[in-house]
Amino acid sequence: MAATVQLVEKNGAGGTQTDKTSGNIRFKNADNSTVDTSNPMVKPGAGVDYSFEKWLRMNVSGGTYTEITNVKVYMDGANGLGTGVTLYAKAVTAYATPAEATATAGYADAFTYTSGSPLTLGAGPYTSTGEKADHCVMMLTVGTTASGGITPSETLTLSWDEI
Amino acid sequence: MKYDIGMNKVHEITTDAEGNHVGTDGDITVSLVGGRMFKRRAIKGVGTEGAQEVCWLVCELDGVRVYQSGRNVIVSRADINP
Repeated sequence: MAATVQLVEKNGAGGTQTDKTSGNIRFKNADNSTVDTSNPMVKPGAGVDYSFEKWLRMNVSGGTYTEITNVKVYMDGANGLGTGVTLYAKAVTAYATPAEATATAGYADAFTYTSGSPLTLGAGPYTSTGEKADHCVMMLTVGTTASGGITPSETLTLSWDEI
Repeated sequence: MKYDIGMNKVHEITTDAEGNHVGTDGDITVSLVGGRMFKRRAIKGVGTEGAQEVCWLVCELDGVRVYQSGRNVIVSRADINP
């Protein structure tokens, strides 16, 4: 048997979970998991427009396993979101209600986290079901050189060791 | 360097009375005498409808790792991710 693993997006003060394993994660100017065009990012006249944070976390929803270790996430290393659009990521242990980001301090460009240099979310070991390891907090900025419209999609890899 | 040795079923790992490990994906069985064996799993393409699970069987002995997925095998001292 094996663990059944999801990547969930958490929203609101209570951290309500939405399974995003195979669903789009829409960066926007609001704290919700809805994939729509409400509360869009706005191309600024100067500076950048910061999105609300996306709080993502590994969730073991079922299955049978002994322990999970070495949880990490990474991207493909190439920003395909378009000119002027930057995606950032960091690991955070304790959940906080997603807020609109105001700076990039503490974050790194998400595309610098690759299979050869992933973002570590926790060594573990983790057992049983429920949320495991640190949150992957992501946010996106739109600069003055960005084009309008919905950006191309990018994907994330969630990886872990399991016995 | 990117390693992509394929999508596959999740392996089963068992340990016999002598502490030796046996891992199988149902088609190929790998036995390890000594060392440690674990599954390196991943969900690739998270955030899209095309998300897919990957499972590599990893055998580690004296600092050398064998990564197996389907009919593909990598032997390396490096820590490799799917």
